[in-house]
Amino acid sequence: MASRKITKAGGSEGRGVATTSKFTINPRVARRSFMKIAAATAALAGMSLGPKVVHELNAQEKKEAYPGSKMVRTVCTHCAVGCGIKAQVQNGLWVRQEVASDHPVSRGGHCCKGAGAIDMVTSEKRLTSPMKRVNGKWQKISWEQALDEVCGKLLDIRKKDGPDAVHWNGSAKVSNEMAYLQRKLAAFWGTNNIDHQARI
Amino acid sequence: MAGVANTWGYGAMTNSMNDIRHSKLVFMLGSNAAEAHPVAMQHILYAKEVNNAPLIVVDPRFTKLAAKATDYVRIRPGTDTAFVMGLVNEIVTNGWHDKDFIRKRVAGFPEMCEIAKHYTPEVVEDITGIPASEVKRIAKLLATHRPGTVVWCMGATQHSIGSSNTRALCILQLVLGNMGVSGGGTNIFRGHDNVQGATDMCVLSHSLPAYYGIKDGSWKHWCRVWDVDYEWMKSRFHSKEYMNKKGFTLARWYQGVIQEDKISQYTPIKAVVFWGCASNSQSQYHKLKKALDKLDLVVIIDPFPTMTAAACEKDNVYLLPSSSQYETEGSVTSSSRQIQWRFKVVDPVHDSRDDYWIMGQMVKRFGFHDKFYKNIKKVPDDITRELCKGSLTIGYNGALPERIKKHTLHWETFDVDSLQAKGGPCDGEYYGLPWPCWTETHPGTPILYDISKPVAKGGLPFRARFGTEHTYWNGRKENLLAAPGVYNPGSQVKGGYPEFKDIVPGTNWKTDLSQKTIKVAISRGMAPFGNARARCVCWNFPDQVPVHREPLHSPRPDLIAKYPTYPDKKEQYRVYTRFKSEQKPELVKNFPYVLITGRMVEHMGGGAETRSNKYLAELAPKMYAEISTRLANNLGIRDGDMMWIESPEQGKVKVMARVTDRVDDKTIFMPFHFGGMFMGQDLSGNYPKGHEPYCIGEPANICTNYGYDIVTQIQGTKEGLCQVKKA
Repeated sequence: MASRKITKAGGSEGRGVATTSKFTINPRVARRSFMKIAAATAALAGMSLGPKVVHELNAQEKKEAYPGSKMVRTVCTHCAVGCGIKAQVQNGLWVRQEVASDHPVSRGGHCCKGAGAIDMVTSEKRLTSPMKRVNGKWQKISWEQALDEVCGKLLDIRKKDGPDAVHWNGSAKVSNEMAYLQRKLAAFWGTNNIDHQARI
Repeated sequence: MAGVANTWGYGAMTNSMNDIRHSKLVFMLGSNAAEAHPVAMQHILYAKEVNNAPLIVVDPRFTKLAAKATDYVRIRPGTDTAFVMGLVNEIVTNGWHDKDFIRKRVAGFPEMCEIAKHYTPEVVEDITGIPASEVKRIAKLLATHRPGTVVWCMGATQHSIGSSNTRALCILQLVLGNMGVSGGGTNIFRGHDNVQGATDMCVLSHSLPAYYGIKDGSWKHWCRVWDVDYEWMKSRFHSKEYMNKKGFTLARWYQGVIQEDKISQYTPIKAVVFWGCASNSQSQYHKLKKALDKLDLVVIIDPFPTMTAAACEKDNVYLLPSSSQYETEGSVTSSSRQIQWRFKVVDPVHDSRDDYWIMGQMVKRFGFHDKFYKNIKKVPDDITRELCKGSLTIGYNGALPERIKKHTLHWETFDVDSLQAKGGPCDGEYYGLPWPCWTETHPGTPILYDISKPVAKGGLPFRARFGTEHTYWNGRKENLLAAPGVYNPGSQVKGGYPEFKDIVPGTNWKTDLSQKTIKVAISRGMAPFGNARARCVCWNFPDQVPVHREPLHSPRPDLIAKYPTYPDKKEQYRVYTRFKSEQKPELVKNFPYVLITGRMVEHMGGGAETRSNKYLAELAPKMYAEISTRLANNLGIRDGDMMWIESPEQGKVKVMARVTDRVDDKTIFMPFHFGGMFMGQDLSGNYPKGHEPYCIGEPANICTNYGYDIVTQIQGTKEGLCQVKKA
């Protein structure tokens, strides 16, 4: 069942990648890059893939797996240990991740969540556009419409029922800057009805 | 965290993950680090293997961490205070306490002992189920292996007496003299990746950023930082009363909608915004679901739809796809108070937008964009600068964005044992400038309350936060400042002193935005917040000294009369919260098993991210409940069978049985990461098509019981009762 899902994921991701990148790139290159990571991670997870997704390395790739790529230092989003992650980025795509063996806390350690961090970005389950539910069905809408409607309704409620009729649940998964803005937003909105996961 | 902050000043981990490498003993209660903080294990196991440190694991369940322990102690859920106060009593009775440390740096010790003496090994055995001989043996291990560290997580806090549990653990470390030293401390492992940072920024209904509270002075301080008029800010609120009144919490906001318990605000809740927050991690989830269907508006801002989208069955819901944290940047604070810069890996994918953009768009539509972004031109760096400017209480002011980035970009220069940079551009500084980082040249504070170092080099005494003198219930008066002779090297005052104020007239170290007060204190070798004693007695808490109180839903009705819970709280964070009226001795007859919840290594929180991750979903696709061999056999349940778990609040889940003796015969364990099912019903059709997670399962929190901490209102998910039936 899992290998079926993986194959399916591999099949649809090329399309996803081409539409998501902000850079102009050759979609075939993007697809190949994804196949390599898919093959590598699938091998790590002990799963098998069909022969279709593996390709012969060309001369340049034999020297350097991801020509022209850069390595970005970042921090895992899964727990408060704060493990380092080295993310390899090629043509604006996250193609591969590496453990940070020189990070003073994690020292190359990763749990399965950190090792799979890349799928936060590559998962085909990611929402692709704003949505609202209409007559029980999900409908894609533009950002403009979504923000206008959401903010309009919130302002209506504020006017009719008062600022405390809205409850804000913020997050322990955003940056300090964003968490700070969430608290500041509640203040400017005019309520103390704001909380987040530290409470639970 | 309230319990910790009220003991010695700050509610945070005092040492660091790495510092555990110097521990001679590691005592872990209500933590399953092997699954919840796996990469911290290398430091814990270093202490165990290299220092030959005993690794004591106290847990109702034989966890993966317990498998690594030298000493495993099985405890009845909800009895941690009794056990820990029992250890304190045993240590004091035998004279193993650190008398010099207590005399110089601790307040309320005799009064605390008066209460602790009730918890003899035999009494502890009766309450906790831990044999008296084990209580004595563990106490002796603690006394003979110093410095030892104490680690806890949600297993200690998610109880009606959670804030007593944390204080009891602090008292244990004070009695042993294990505070302010490398290898000691209370190392509270926090959950989400930035829960320390988000707590510091106070995304909380009782405080403005950096723990300033919500009193008039707090608002005036932040209005000065934001450069907005206090009167304008006041006009934003329903009334001034509501500006100073604690709001609803994440644990109980939905009562503002369904109002099964009486609420104390002028309007019910009509709309809720979930911005990077799961709903299925809240207890009594079936009641929360009722609220979702009753609200006028539900807004979900998240990279994934989350279970909230599937649980809403009306047309009242919007999904705004935020990008993941790898598609934006900013600082994050680890459990060890280290601030790292999370650099952006790629631009937002699909049509998702980063949180800052969404915030900007909303604020624009709300009509206060100019005021909100007055000091903020460059995002996120100018936000960091603004929060640094205002967060003087916790010393974020020295952790400017360029310093944080420099640390992250040179993490290889920091030493694993000391966390101090050896050479390189950050030479001498501690990794991530662990707060408080008092000035732009301060190296950070790697260990809180360590008087062996000058304040300018990362040392600190205990914080003077609770006045300078107190008279206890027995009439004894005590000076709360540290004893003569207790000071950081270079201090101009050779003993205790109160906090700094009036250096700039009318301000103190927390409100002087010029930061002159802090700089003067540091230049005199002193801590801006004073030099005081840590408290064993918290006179502002319902229990001044931690005492055992039976869980609201107790499997030991015979103990309720002797250890009753608190009276009901008529208004706790805007809602009536039942204690005594909820403690019904007869409940156990129909709900005979204790229900506890916890983490799996493969998943995180409500699981929206990890169950949408193909690798992790493959590793752990199924929801389950652990049941002991004996109980399973008695109920005719075999491994892999489906069974119903039912709560006293009419919540029920249909889950697969995992028959294992990790749990005892009276306890059921469930992981809390699953969602997408609801009381036997498959909700996968409610997700936007193609965006349902790879694996779904019943949320354990449908069955977690009523019950909240008396101080913080944290939900009591580790001490409920349940019934089990074969499905």
